[in-house]
Order: sequence, then structure tokens, then C-alpha cells
Amino acid sequence: MTVTVEAARPVTRRSLDLPVQVALAAATVALVFFPLVPILVQAFSTRPLYDPVRAFTLSNFTRVLSSGAFWSVVGTTVAFAALTTVLAVTLGTVLAILIERTDLPARGLLNSLVILPFYVSPLVLAFAWAVIYGPQGYLTIWARQLIGHDPWNLYSIPGLAVVSMVYYVPYTYLYCTAALSLSDPQVEDAARIAGAGPLRAIRAVTLPLLRPAITYSALLTFVSALELLSIPLVLGTPAGIRVLASYLYILGIAGGRIDYGAIAAISVLTVAIVTALVWVQERLVSEERRFVTTGGRASRIRPMQLGSLRWLAFVFVMAYFTFAVLLPLSGIVAQSATAFLSPLINPLQVLTWENYRLILETEAYRRSIVNSLIIATLGGAIGILFMAFISLMSYRSEFPGRRALTYLALYPRAIPGIIVGIGFLWAFLLIPGLGAVRNTIWALMAAFIMRYIPLGFGAVSPAILRISPELDRAARVAGADWLGTTRRILLPLVRPALLSGYTLLVITFLKEYSSALFLFARGSEVIGTTMIELWRQGNSGPVAALASIQIVLTLIVLAASSALLRRR
Amino acid sequence: MGDLVIEGLVKHYGPVLAVDNVSLTVPAGKLVSLLGPSGCGKTTTLNCIAGLERPDAGVIRVAGTILTDASRRIFLPPERRRLGMVFQSYALWPHMTVFDNLAFGLRLQKVPRDEIHRRITEVLELVGLGGMERRYPYQLSGGQQQRVALARAVVSQPAVLLLDEPLSNLDAKVREQARFWLREFQQRLGITTVYVTHDQAEALAISDLVAVMSAGKVLQYGPPREIYERPATRFVADFIGATSFLDGTVSDRSDGLLRVRVGGEIELCVTHALARQPGEPVVLAVRAERITLAADGDTVNIVPGIKRSQVYLGSRYQSLVETPAGTLRVETAMELPDGKVRLKLPPEALVVLPPEEGS
Ligand SMILES: Nc1ncnc2c1ncn2[C@@H]1O[C@H](COP(=O)(O)OP(=O)(O)OP(=O)(O)O)[C@@H](O)[C@H]1O
Ligand SMILES: [Mg+2]
Repeated sequence: MTVTVEAARPVTRRSLDLPVQVALAAATVALVFFPLVPILVQAFSTRPLYDPVRAFTLSNFTRVLSSGAFWSVVGTTVAFAALTTVLAVTLGTVLAILIERTDLPARGLLNSLVILPFYVSPLVLAFAWAVIYGPQGYLTIWARQLIGHDPWNLYSIPGLAVVSMVYYVPYTYLYCTAALSLSDPQVEDAARIAGAGPLRAIRAVTLPLLRPAITYSALLTFVSALELLSIPLVLGTPAGIRVLASYLYILGIAGGRIDYGAIAAISVLTVAIVTALVWVQERLVSEERRFVTTGGRASRIRPMQLGSLRWLAFVFVMAYFTFAVLLPLSGIVAQSATAFLSPLINPLQVLTWENYRLILETEAYRRSIVNSLIIATLGGAIGILFMAFISLMSYRSEFPGRRALTYLALYPRAIPGIIVGIGFLWAFLLIPGLGAVRNTIWALMAAFIMRYIPLGFGAVSPAILRISPELDRAARVAGADWLGTTRRILLPLVRPALLSGYTLLVITFLKEYSSALFLFARGSEVIGTTMIELWRQGNSGPVAALASIQIVLTLIVLAASSALLRRR
Repeated sequence: MGDLVIEGLVKHYGPVLAVDNVSLTVPAGKLVSLLGPSGCGKTTTLNCIAGLERPDAGVIRVAGTILTDASRRIFLPPERRRLGMVFQSYALWPHMTVFDNLAFGLRLQKVPRDEIHRRITEVLELVGLGGMERRYPYQLSGGQQQRVALARAVVSQPAVLLLDEPLSNLDAKVREQARFWLREFQQRLGITTVYVTHDQAEALAISDLVAVMSAGKVLQYGPPREIYERPATRFVADFIGATSFLDGTVSDRSDGLLRVRVGGEIELCVTHALARQPGEPVVLAVRAERITLAADGDTVNIVPGIKRSQVYLGSRYQSLVETPAGTLRVETAMELPDGKVRLKLPPEALVVLPPEEGS
């Protein structure tokens, strides 16, 4: 082999690294600040944003903070969020320990069942619970006949909290499972050998191990519950229960004259508080612990023997799934296919396709399904690539602003969905030239992508962090620039994570409604907004039909994705 | 082909000074080792050469082409430096075959197709992996992966080859073979090479020149023999080989000999470092294998002692002997007798070092 050498490679073409990185960073900055700026401006303005004669004021804040209604809403919100958190974290932890660490039968199956509500829209869950446990719900009527009075009241703060618990249990469950699979089961064996019974071993050894995961999930749940709209809106409104998100919704859409200043001031206050909570949450975890990945659980060595408690625990988990998830979801599907669902009537006698016909024959309703599908598949694809690139810039580039970019990418967690919608709406109204986009699904797509940057970022980042940096360094030394390295080495290596991140985004975009509520217009309806419209008109049958369609679409996406992932 | 020149290289990580004013010249075609304990800044130095780290100060040149000049804000990105690099983990791209791994850089250089084929076949032949083009990295053994990594590093005919502990993932037996093989390979290509290792035996075995590093500094730079036989500091002496140190004071200088009093009555003669003044405190370093059992007639440089313990190393014995001058490590082919022994420390085996220098 002859060696001929020129010292440095000649510049064959200018590298596009920096222009691309700057463009991506600029897009992130624009997306995140786009909704925030108009809200901030409005919060300190005397008149609505569209009014050119505005002046600076603090009166919006004083008006909101001195209003009794506001403080009562705050009280309700905190009570609801706190109760939800306690319930969800307790149950999530118990389920995680039982399924991850003990010799419960059929643990694989139970694992999937417990995670299932993660994929269901909380809006659908709310409607579904109303079908079974609401004042006119199937089981409520049945129990009323049996004992003479209503055994429970779903339209109450505890009622809302129980339904929200079902939605949030997977969060705690996933974080605790991840923490457990990382720790060594032999520590429990050691406690058993030292003479502790199974419960004692769990209390003395397992729970302390889980404390970081539990704290983290508790804060996560609390923050999400603070901004949750769907369940309080659907189940709380009939009883006059109002939380921050539903209060904003009523102020901005369902109420009479719109008080822009108050909406903006409440939004600013909410974002400030949530920002503080998210910051605390961040302080609790190191960079890598921030992310949790579903699936791919490490092999367990030897599960803890529960002995006679084994079947009791199994029945407990199955009963939870049946009554909290299976029954309500079956109920809503049953309602969609019947004229009237009640224990007093044989459902087979009132079977009907009427609800589905209404949905599929009304143009606006049908369009909302098509729009949701387009936003989910196309927006999800754009979104996951965008988010993967942000993560690659954050963790695998020499881009000067990469640390700031990481924070920015994770910041949308601090902005409640409904406020994202308000901000985008106002920004579109305010910025000349964007009017054409405002009424299209592109506006929604932008809002959805912005809102879920942290989700996609979290889905691909662990995979990116797991790749040895030497692999990209080797590519650089071999002559590839950053873009070439990214395209040829890093993206191919994280393909499975891209696919599961894409699935997550598709499902999330399919069920997203809160950021769309303010933003959607005639022509850009999505499934969630249509369900809320139909619900407000009191059409529970078509709502059930639409909810069922959403469930089926989600199941199809999940099945397709797991088939794809299994193929490789 | 020209020399690789590093001048005044400095690199901080926050408060950590990882590389502290390193200057080295790697002569064209030679193999230079950076040797030092973990965390001393070897990898950082190598990465600065590769352009994977941006130094805070310093100049790096190859054959007159400036790769980095911090004061003039010149920094060539790694992809334009025309280097080959082998990483500790090999960093073979797992989703590409051996062929694609090797072709990656060539394709970027727009080398014609049949030329790519020709070169890859040739270089794989050279590393003894002919016919393995279609394999994926996971289908190769550790030693084979290491050779693919080497082939990938040289296939684009780089000006300089950088190796970061390339043998550390191999087991002991394979590692020793790989050492010879690597040295032969480097000499055959005549490629300027910087080799990072923390294994002193490896560095001495394969290098033309060794740079011993500690805490970001180069303590000594020279041929392996010089590093071994004339260490410049206590740290270098200690890091390389099994060495004992004796504190002493220069008592006399005459007849081309320096006499050093260690441990009270014992006086040792040394054949170098004649600039030292009587009364000056010094440290004497002596390699374990240079110490012998004294013959009956010997009277010069004799140290009496008592054998404390002994381990069998396979071909030699290593013993700890307590003497009035301090504890000595002794390596001998024959077992030392138990109890009292008389040791001979030949004058030419003793190295005079400055006293109490931080190690
Ligand atoms: N990215 C980094 N950030 C902060 N400190 C670093 C970084 N990389 C290296 N260091 C520090 O710089 C010093 C030198 O590190 P370097 O990797 O060059 O050591 P090394 O000599 O290669 O060690 P080893 O033999 O263990 O590989 C160490 O103290 C290390 O902790
Ligand atoms: Mg190193």
C-alpha cells in the first residue's frame, strides 16, 4: 500500500451544518415563544390585543386576584389535583411492585392492561365513566334499584379524582417499573432471608428504593392534573365544579363577553406556577432519569414469592382493570351502538347504527376524523423528525446554544394545553400574513407539535444517549460533517426509537383536544373538538360513536406499530 | 509527509485543567506513545489533535498545515483533517457491514467505485481479514473488530494515525500478539502515529518515542530505553517498572563517582549526576530486576537486609527486603534465601532524582 498524503482535505463544498442547526434552533425558539408572547403582552394591556390603542396596566392581575370566583377555582383545582395525585401514585406504586417484582400470574398481560389508559384520551375516559358510573349510568341505576339510593356521586371532586387516577396510574407505574428493573432484586431476597415477610420486605427495602421515582411521578401527576381540562369539564360542569382549565374555557368560549385581560392574566399566573413546579421536578432527577421508556424490561431474576397472597393480588389487579377501564370503555362502545343504554332494557332490542350514520354523514363530523388522521400521521412524522433533530443537537453537536436549546425543548411542559391554544390563536390573529394559515389544520399541527416537543424529545433521547459518542466521532474523523454523521450513522441507529416515538405522537395527536379548543375553526375540526361540541349539545350517542372510533383508531395504530417493531 | 507538531496545548473542562501546556513533536513516520495513569489527559490530547475537542490554547500542525491555532482562532473541523483514528471501543458502526464501514470515508472523498473496492480488499488483506467484507461487526471477535477499526482508520491513507488504547479491550494473550502485529503494521505503512495507552509495557514495546504524562503535563519525552533507564522524575520512575526509592544525602564526589549516604552507615556509589554537590539531599531510584544477591567478595554498594515476603511471578521471584535504607523490591531469577540477605545495587543501576518532588 502506497501512502500519498496531502495534509488536509480540500474543502469540496461548504458544510450545511451551521445553517441547518441555526434554522432548527430558530424554529424551536419561534414555536415555543409564538404562543407565549401575545399572552404576556395581553396580560399587561388595558385593551384587547387587536385594539391598537392599548396601554400598559397591572389591572388585569389585580382584577383576577381580587375575584372570589378565581380563588374558589384555584382551591378546587388544587384539591382535585392533590387527591388525584395521592390516588394515582399510591395505586401506580402498588401495581408496579406487584407486577414487576412478585410472582403474580400473567404479569406480561397485566402489564399491558395497566398501561392501556395511557393511550386513551382522558376525554373518552370521562365520557366512558359517565356511561357506567354517572347519575344515569348503567351501574348506578342497577345499584340504585338494588339498594334504593345512589351508592356514589361521580360528579364530585372525589369522583373526578378517581377517574383522573385511572388516567394517571400508568405514569407512576412506568416510572416505578423502570426504577425497579434497574435495581437488583437480590436486595429483597436478602431481606426475606433475614426473616422479613413479603410485605415487610417491600416496606423496608423496595419502597425506599423507589422514593425518587415516586417523588418524580407525584410531581408529574400533580402538574398534569392542575391543567387537566377534559375530566373536570365533562364530569364537573354539571355539578358546577370548576378548575382552572375549565374556567378558562368558559371565560374564553362558552361565556358571554370575552375578558381578554383576565384570560391572559390567569394564563400567565398558571404558567408561572407550573414553571416553578416543573423546575422543582427537574431538580430531582439527573439528565438520564428524566426519560422513561416503555417496554424492553430487563429480565427478572427471581420474583418475590407472595405465597397465599398471590391469587388475591391477581384478583385485585384484574378487578381494578375490569371496573376502571374495561367496563367503562365497553360501556361507551355499547352506547354508541344502541339508542338507549340501561339495565332496564335489553340492549339487543335497541341496537342502532344511527349514531355512526350521523357522524359519518355530517360533513363537519366526518371531516374532524379525517383532519385528526392527517394531523396525527403527517404532523406526527414532521414532529418526530423535528424533535429527533433537536435532541441530536442537544446531545450530539457542538452547536453553541445547545444547553439553552435543551431547556427550551423541554419547556412546553410548563404550558397547559388550553393556554397553548389561546396563545396560538392570538398569535395568528395578531401577526399579519398568517391569517391564511389560521383556519387550517396546519395551525393545529403547529400547536400540537409545539406542545409535544418534550414528549418526542423524551422518546428519542434515551436511545440517542445510549449510542457511544465514539460512533459519531469516528464518522467525523472519517470525513463526514455533522449532518452527514446524523443522517448516515445516528438516525439509522435510533430507528426503532423513532418508530416508537412516532407511534406515541400519532396516538397523542389523535387524542389531543385541549390545545385545539380555542384554535380550531370551521374546516379544521378534530375528533376531540367535535366530541366536546356534540357533548355541549347533549348528544351522548354520537359522542359515544366518535369516542369508539377514536379507540379503534388508536388500537389499529398500536397494533401496526408493534407488528412493525417486532419485524426487525 | 511531515512531522506532527504540538505547541503549548492547553485544555480546560470548567475548573479541571485536563491538558497543561503540552508540546510534542512527532517525527514523520514514527510511533509516539502518550503514556500515563487514568485521567492524566491522554485522550484529551488525542482528541485535540483529531479536532474532536477545541483547545483553549496551542498550535497543532502537520507538515506545515495548521490544524489548530487557538490564538488565531483557526480550527479545522475533524472531517477536514485527513486523520485516521482508532477508538477504545473500536466504534464500528453496527448497522453497516465491514465493507461499508471501510467505504464510508472513501465515498465521502468521492473515490471512484472500483478504487474503493481495490483499496478495501487490499487493506483487509493487510490486516488479515480478507473475505470478511460482508460481515457485520457483531459477527466478529474482539480482536477482529480491532483490526477492522484499524483498517478503517488507514484505508483513506491519512496523514496521521491516532490510536486511543486500541488494545485495552482484548484479553492478555491476544493483546501481546496484537502489540507485535500493530508495530509491524505501522512500520510497514510508515505512517506517523500517536498511540495512547496506560500500559507501560505496551508503550515501551511498540514506540519509537514515549511521552510520559501526569496531571495534564508531559514529564518526560524520549526513546523507551531512556525513559526506562534514566527516568527524569520520581513519578516516571515509579510509573514504569517496579522501582524502589531510597532517600539520601550526597556525601562525596570524586573519581567520577558520586557517593550518596542512605540509611545511616550505608554509602552507595553512583556513576552519573555528577553535578550534585556534597550535602545535597537526593532520592535514589533502583529497578527491582537490577538488584542482585551479592557475591562473597563484593564490597561496593552492598546493602544488608531481611527478606520479608516473596511472590512467584511465573519466571521470576519478587521479594520485599527490609534494609536500614528502606524497603527494597527485588526481582530475581532464583529464590532469595530466607532471613538475612546481602544485596548488591550496581552503581550504574542507580538513578539520582531530585528529592521530595510531588508524584
Ligand atoms: N467532557 C469532559 N468534561 C469534564 N471533564 C472532562 C471531560 N473529559 C475529560 N475530563 C477530565 O479531564 C481529565 C483528563 O481526561 P482524559 O479523558 O484526557 O484522561 P485519560 O488520560 O485519557 O484517562 P483514561 O486513561 O482513563 O482514559 C480528567 O480529569 C477528566 O475527568
Ligand atoms: Mg482515555
